[in-house]
Amino acid sequence: MDETVAEFIKRTILKIPMTEMMTILKAWDFLPENQLQTVNFRQRKESLVQDLVLLCENKRASLRDAALLDIIYTQFHRHQKVWDVFQMSKEPGEDVDLFDMEQFKSSFEKILRRALKNVTVSFRDAEENAVWIRIAWGTQYRKPNQYKPVFVVYYSQTPYVFTSFCHLKSNTPLLSQALTVASNHHKIVKMDLRSRYLDSLKAIVFKQYNQLETKFKSDFHGGILAERKEPLRCLIKFSSPHLLEALKSLAPAGIADAPLSPLLTCIPNKGMNYFKIRDK
Amino acid sequence: MEWANDKSKGGVLAHLERLETQMSRSCKNLEDPPRETAESDLGTKIRKLRCLRDKLRAEVKQRQARIKASTANAEPDQTLEISEQEAVGGKEENMKAILQAYRFTGLSGKRTSRGVCVCISTAFEGNLLDSYFVDLVIQKPLRIHHHSVPVFIPLEEISAKYLQTNIQHFLFCLCEYLNAYAGRKYQADQLQRDFAAFLAGPLQRNSLCNLLSFTYKVEPQSRSFPFCARLLYKDLTTTLPTDVTITYQGTDASSTSWEEQRASHENLFFTKPLHQVFTSFARNGERLDMSLVS
Repeated sequence: MDETVAEFIKRTILKIPMTEMMTILKAWDFLPENQLQTVNFRQRKESLVQDLVLLCENKRASLRDAALLDIIYTQFHRHQKVWDVFQMSKEPGEDVDLFDMEQFKSSFEKILRRALKNVTVSFRDAEENAVWIRIAWGTQYRKPNQYKPVFVVYYSQTPYVFTSFCHLKSNTPLLSQALTVASNHHKIVKMDLRSRYLDSLKAIVFKQYNQLETKFKSDFHGGILAERKEPLRCLIKFSSPHLLEALKSLAPAGIADAPLSPLLTCIPNKGMNYFKIRDK
Repeated sequence: MEWANDKSKGGVLAHLERLETQMSRSCKNLEDPPRETAESDLGTKIRKLRCLRDKLRAEVKQRQARIKASTANAEPDQTLEISEQEAVGGKEENMKAILQAYRFTGLSGKRTSRGVCVCISTAFEGNLLDSYFVDLVIQKPLRIHHHSVPVFIPLEEISAKYLQTNIQHFLFCLCEYLNAYAGRKYQADQLQRDFAAFLAGPLQRNSLCNLLSFTYKVEPQSRSFPFCARLLYKDLTTTLPTDVTITYQGTDASSTSWEEQRASHENLFFTKPLHQVFTSFARNGERLDMSLVS
């Protein structure tokens, strides 16, 4: 096994919290169950990792296997990344989208490889007909940097792509091209929507929200809020399973002035949560 | 500049006025020769203050009116004026009639203060499947406030075509797409769940379930999976494929019986739902077993 691959696997496994170790290794499914049972999971983490890496070496783990482990780790720790959203569009009046996942993957990889010799592309199918893609970028002369990959999550036959924040902006046009062409779209634009919470972003762009009623509860039972002539100045932190809907219902409930600031209400409709305030 | 020292005049109002005069002053200085008389400056200040006061008074009145409106109705809709409300009353009646008529096709609805919330219940072969809702606001133009339609269903296209001109057709069309999607999904789910033993590897599918690809066998006992199937559903309003390609990938390519089987499979997939095709494979397999035993 290549030393760099061994090091990469070691560092990835070291990141995994002990409580998740078994779960993630099982999801990876590279080391068989019977082998895992021979390992002492109660020892110090450093020694455990050494044992696991040795097992991987014996099984000749490849860069491909290591990349897959990285995807699984990231899937379990998706909140550690900041996700951007891109929106793709087609020409009007196009034929029905007969999306073939295998064709998409092969096309996507081909486009990247044609442009960049040094790149590592890995895929992992996910629930709801989605795919997680991991891309490690290199340059013409340097091998891919496995420690700064970009992750892309794409739900088939939708116009939205979620990508983890990438420091190397120079590769964004190539990534955009690969995504649009492989998924049979024509254009791609970055939305002003960004969050650590993929599920939140999904809910906004896929417009998956129900009509729950959330009441605003105040601890000040008529204390500071009662009989005030001037407006009250305070910082309120809202948290709710459906925050945007809750905010929208404040005005009808008579708790907030109508209409609510469009900055709050436009988030679902416009799909934006990232606003740039400039001088006029 | 006297304004800079007037920090004792606290409050947003004063600050705003200060900024305004500053701005207008700097504009004036660029255009006209500077007029230094204190009187004219004071005059400007008075005018600006009056203007601001009037603006704020008007805003306060507006807000009071809005809050009154909020408390008057159960749910306010500031954009709907009284005259328009009467005009769209007719649309509501029409909607009610349509919904009553379509009750048995899985379409139901309930009135909301804004309009109507339509519920589309899907079904396939007598099995009740997922329901989706579309919350319509009866305004000019008619618009969708909320919905739970999956993002890969072309709701925008269907709305653009029919929502404003023919609500009936809009609902019917949406019903068609959703029922067909639910039916295709049901077939794919059934295949994966009940006939996994007949498939080599996972069933390849997509969000719309309009492209399915799998490798399969027909004899439960057999160790090899000799057939490859690729089903395309180009018509999103149907639950049966528009294109079927079955390829035989076994080693016994010369035998005519394989070609016959392949051709008959193609026909089966065209005409019967997926899981029914496999049910018949399973039954034929059983029959074969029975004949071997007896």
